[in-house]
Amino acid sequence: MNVHRKTTEPALLSLTSVAKAIAEKRLSSREVTQSCLDRIAQWQPRLNAFMAIETEAALAAADAADARLSKGNSGGALHGVPLAHKDMYYDAGKVVTCGSKIRRDFVATTTSTALQRLKDAGTIRLGSLQMAEFAYGPTGHNAHYGAVHNPFALDHITGGSSSGSGSAVAARLTFAALGSDTGGSIRMPAHFCGVTGLKTTWGRISRAGAMPLSQSLDTVGPLARTSEDCALLLGLMAGADPEDPTAITGPVPDYMAATREPIKGLSIGVPTAFYVDDLDPEVAGILDQTIAVLKREGAAIVQVELPDQRQLAAACQLVLATEAAAFHKRWLIERSDDYGAQVLMRLQNGLAIPGVTYIEALRWRGPALAAHLAAVAGVDAVLAPVAPVAAPTIAESDVGNSPDAESVIQRLTRFTRPINYLGLPSLSIPAGFTRNGLPVGMQLIGRSFDEAALLRIGAAFQRATDFHAREPK
Amino acid sequence: MTRPTQKEIKAIADVAGVPASADDAARIANSIGPAFEGFAAVGGTLPFDLEPASFLLVQAATPRKAAK
Repeated sequence: MNVHRKTTEPALLSLTSVAKAIAEKRLSSREVTQSCLDRIAQWQPRLNAFMAIETEAALAAADAADARLSKGNSGGALHGVPLAHKDMYYDAGKVVTCGSKIRRDFVATTTSTALQRLKDAGTIRLGSLQMAEFAYGPTGHNAHYGAVHNPFALDHITGGSSSGSGSAVAARLTFAALGSDTGGSIRMPAHFCGVTGLKTTWGRISRAGAMPLSQSLDTVGPLARTSEDCALLLGLMAGADPEDPTAITGPVPDYMAATREPIKGLSIGVPTAFYVDDLDPEVAGILDQTIAVLKREGAAIVQVELPDQRQLAAACQLVLATEAAAFHKRWLIERSDDYGAQVLMRLQNGLAIPGVTYIEALRWRGPALAAHLAAVAGVDAVLAPVAPVAAPTIAESDVGNSPDAESVIQRLTRFTRPINYLGLPSLSIPAGFTRNGLPVGMQLIGRSFDEAALLRIGAAFQRATDFHAREPK
Repeated sequence: MTRPTQKEIKAIADVAGVPASADDAARIANSIGPAFEGFAAVGGTLPFDLEPASFLLVQAATPRKAAK
């Protein structure tokens, strides 16, 4: 089912639809921006999704965009579209807190490449979005700025670390938002909040000007309402960047065209183990229903036997913990009291990992990826749950630095970390709701740099279902 | 590969220049220990001529399934 329906509230449109409406002058950027600001005023006291709201500046930018368009000067594919992003993307002259006390007053002197490319396409800034401290937490808690709340059930978590991005996109406060995914930080909030989230292939989008957590694992990607919206954003952001030599060169595929392709004839693998083990019964049921929809749409569903995913998850943890500790070492020495207890504990984890172990975990990455690709050679994508459960409550997941904190975190992220270690793309799509009204997402895992296949399958699924179109009340 | 003990972690943290208290070391041992156990079957088994950059080679050579 399509979300391109007639509505009197512009903020409820999809990104693709609102950009078209502005371009065709059916809506002005001011009308659209005011609609988002009205919803932000309504929802922010309950969600805590925004770090900063820049009402006057956003309206002024909207008026300027409308004035340019009236003279026939379009700024690009997203001319006049207001967006807000995870507060870790440097924007010259703006405070970028990274969800931390340490960077509470940090003013960026550069603008991240991903953000600049969206600005070049004509977007305007609504403000910035909450996140886990230094993007190091999968629940949505933040010791300094408070937990972000799930719009579908306010006493439940959003997931993290792109907590504000998931919450704000779900509540229709912004049409899309940048997140980042190092161990699951786009897919977790997409799953818990009922939005579409794309973890890109490592190297697909430049990370220049994005706060680092783990250079071997960090990826930039969007959270939006539809696969089509993610395709639009990916096409604008992807491509080589002299500021980030890890961003791959070569032409950027036409992702929007991919979303219009049917999936008849594609093969989708379902793992025989790990991703189907110990699932909450409702999540297991939604996985079955997702398989049924994809079959109806013409995809062939086959079982795949993947290599040991627990080893991949462990290797991911060793790499992530070591690199994060190295980035933070100076502050661990000088400002350890300024970290939240859980983030401090997790950063300290990296101190315990010998250099040889860290390098071994990096050396194994090539063979591990080769083994995975061999296992999925016959399929276009692998379908798996994002997490074994729907969103827990804020209270029950507020584990701080307690002895079982890491095990709680690892359980929540066990289906996402292996994919980060392999550097693969993964698209989280809303796939159903629990009886209590909590969203459940499924992830489509692809080959390296084959985001197009995932967006194609995701768009076909969203043409056949309406889970992505359901709004929190 | 075995999980590091509290005592070993305290010593490693000291060498790294970020001293950890006994309580911190115990918490770290409990927290990161399972990752060592999970990686134990791989650690110490990798062939000599394997560089971390092999990941980039595999990634770049990833075959695309033929379009239908």
